[in-house]
Amino acid sequence: MGVRVLVGTAKGGFWVTSGNRRDWEVAGPFLKGWKVTAGLRLPDGRFLAAVASDVYGPAIHMYRNYVHNSTWEQLPGGPEYPEGGPSRFRQIWTLAENRGTLYAGVQDAGLFRSTDGGNSWDPLTGLNEHATREAWMPGAGGLCCHAMLFSPDNPERMWCGISAVGVFRTDDGGASWVPKNRGVYWAHEDEEFKEIGYCVHGLAQDPDDPEVIYRQDHSGMYRSRDGAERWERNESGLDSAFGFPIVLDRATRFLFAVPQESDQYRVPVGGALKVMRSTDGGDSWHSASAGLPAAHAFGTVLRGAMSVDDLEPGGVYMGTTSGTLHVSTDLGESWTNLPVVLPRILHVSAWVD
Amino acid sequence: MPSVTVTLPSLLEPATGGVREFSASGETLRGVFADLVEQEPRLKPHLFDESGDLRRHVLCFHNGTNTRWMDGWDGPVSDGDVVLFMQAVSGG
Repeated sequence: MGVRVLVGTAKGGFWVTSGNRRDWEVAGPFLKGWKVTAGLRLPDGRFLAAVASDVYGPAIHMYRNYVHNSTWEQLPGGPEYPEGGPSRFRQIWTLAENRGTLYAGVQDAGLFRSTDGGNSWDPLTGLNEHATREAWMPGAGGLCCHAMLFSPDNPERMWCGISAVGVFRTDDGGASWVPKNRGVYWAHEDEEFKEIGYCVHGLAQDPDDPEVIYRQDHSGMYRSRDGAERWERNESGLDSAFGFPIVLDRATRFLFAVPQESDQYRVPVGGALKVMRSTDGGDSWHSASAGLPAAHAFGTVLRGAMSVDDLEPGGVYMGTTSGTLHVSTDLGESWTNLPVVLPRILHVSAWVD
Repeated sequence: MPSVTVTLPSLLEPATGGVREFSASGETLRGVFADLVEQEPRLKPHLFDESGDLRRHVLCFHNGTNTRWMDGWDGPVSDGDVVLFMQAVSGG
């Protein structure tokens, strides 16, 4: 089985592909000059890529992989905040699909969804105009909604993560949203709205029990066993609990995270690019970093720049802010550093091809 | 109605399928902008923000004059005028 990896960088997208996960081909850049901030493969085989430019703003492009000489094509519509309103649509941080509906988590923080394949998008105003909205404060990366989770058991239940605001859950299909951050240490305390001010960085979910959610937060590593009602710290073995991505291999439920040296420095601890793996649902963490640069490595892995491919054994992929790209095809036992130096890597998604 | 040539920067080619030059019609610059985004709606979010104004770092020149120096977009345009979009060099 082959693998296709979409690598989104600050200056365009790249395809990294392999038929055997040993020999890799790199193609690109496509959408040259644009930040490629999120990627998604749709059930019909099309790919979506979110782009953004500091000058020209954001958009979503579509690629038909199955069409010879296909090119990226900007979708006719996209998320849009009301003209004259307080929110600006600056960037898409995550694209997701659930039960035929597309979702986009955006900056300024909000959610939009499309039921026509991405041609038109509707705001989820229950979140975008939440009662606490006036107190939402941007984190260092901006005020962004960057994570979405779904319940395979309950179509009405979804979660989203907003940096420096927190995790929200809906139990009515997105009409209303409730902050769910009990047990998490706050990042900044609002005078009036005590239920927000929690800085979620990344979320991962157990595929068999969607109520089990793992959370890489600004304030540490957490786990919830009850759909985000309560969170508990699970940091045993981590030499730093600060980081951004957290991903899960579906077959083994192994977790992968990339610690950084505190929010003040945001670099690999001691200059060693290290992946931490948990094989016991977050109870303990151990280094799974053989082959990664062990010294003089100060590029970090951003929240969207790590992915798993769902093959067996699972492949893990990550890109750094220094443009280096790293692949493990044995669940982190060993790593290969691909011979590329790309622009700052913002996004990595891997799919079986 | 006057017809105006509108030229776009290469970075916007992905939004237009590679087209960098449009012929747009209008009695005023505002009308030309409206015709442009009607012809190619995918340009709208790249050129204009939620305030309805040009994006902060987008420059537009009408016959060589920066539109930000004009008193709005309601002055007349003439057949054969040139409208050029480019990005502001706002820093290095």
